[in-house]
Amino acid sequence: MVKFGIEFVPREPHWKIIYYAIQAERGGFSNLWITDHFNNRNVYVTLTTAAIYTNKITFGPGVTNPYMVNPVFTAQALATLNELTQGRVVLGIGAGDKTTLESVGVEMQKPLKAVQEAIDIFRKITSGENVVYNGEVFKTAGAKFLFKPRGKIPVYVGAQGPKMLEFAGKVGDGVLINACHPKDVEYAVSCVKEGVKAAGKKLNEIDVAAYTSFSVHEDIKKANKAAVPVVSFIVAGSPPQVLERHRIDVKKAEEIKEALKANDWGRAFGSVTPEMISAFSVCGTPEMCIERIAELLKSGISQFVVGSPIGANVREAINLISEKIIPHFKA
Amino acid sequence: MDYRKLVETIPVPKQEQLSDRLIDFLLSSKNDDKMPSQLANTILHHWQNDILISESGLTALLEAAVLLEPDKTIGAFTELGLTGMAEQIKQSAPKT
Repeated sequence: MVKFGIEFVPREPHWKIIYYAIQAERGGFSNLWITDHFNNRNVYVTLTTAAIYTNKITFGPGVTNPYMVNPVFTAQALATLNELTQGRVVLGIGAGDKTTLESVGVEMQKPLKAVQEAIDIFRKITSGENVVYNGEVFKTAGAKFLFKPRGKIPVYVGAQGPKMLEFAGKVGDGVLINACHPKDVEYAVSCVKEGVKAAGKKLNEIDVAAYTSFSVHEDIKKANKAAVPVVSFIVAGSPPQVLERHRIDVKKAEEIKEALKANDWGRAFGSVTPEMISAFSVCGTPEMCIERIAELLKSGISQFVVGSPIGANVREAINLISEKIIPHFKA
Repeated sequence: MDYRKLVETIPVPKQEQLSDRLIDFLLSSKNDDKMPSQLANTILHHWQNDILISESGLTALLEAAVLLEPDKTIGAFTELGLTGMAEQIKQSAPKT
């Protein structure tokens, strides 16, 4: 049975995020993902607050990266949280966002290697090992916790490109696929399957999550309006081959990019077409969203993550998902 | 202003509606910086225990709503027919 996750960006103050987290837990969501960007509030402070106010939801960074945060620190933070919550913690890790990393002068070198080594170190140190590691990206000369870590923490790999997706299938306990359209998700799952096969596992042994940009409202116009800003940024950041796959005019995407750079929101958002919304979000009335999620499930996903913007009114949107969408898939 | 006393005089059938409106005001407010952390934690504690509609929960919500969104709060009381209470809040609310 499919699980539902929800993502929050800690740009909002803690009390709003935690209000929604409690609401989501009560409404049947099983996973809570908090994004990790240096320019928002800190992910681990937010997760700790979530730990205090929730009882059963599984949660973790969605996703952190090995460039801004050394994997030893990530391991320390999550091992501590895992102790606090008696095993409700997971790690979401990916290569990070190139633009954000560059803005703080961090170069995204050897992304696949960096993520692989970070996961290696994370797993070793959280299992209590004294880690001597001589990798291409990371080196440790005997790193060991002075406390006993409590249990295994599942690792989800955030992935988009074919190599990272295959790697995620190979080493991950889960994979977070950054895609919304059935065509993209189907392709991504096929890459994950390659990795799973190479590792001698079965697809149902890992948690395959579609990490989507989502917007729901009873009024489709309101759902679309909320999705447009997020979609405009996704379109602007998508490579030409992805745009072409969805028959989106590359020139139009370039115009949106230019408008966003110039902070001309009206022009940027006004250029977003229904095709773009369909390609890069799961958006519409609850019935429309159910239809799209059902399509995505055919690809073999086991978790559906509701990501930003969630809806025009987040509280109302969580209620709609809890009352209309989740029960449809649990029946 | 003694918010608890004021809440005690709100007719029970209107408490749920009011609580719902105040939560919406707070969650959609752009005046996040006016929320005292202690008050935020009190609200979350009540929400965690599903007792935001209790008198103590509603008191915390009202106190926060008056700080963050005084005009909307006064408007909600007026719309619910609680005009006397709306006037009391108006007298004590921070000027916007």
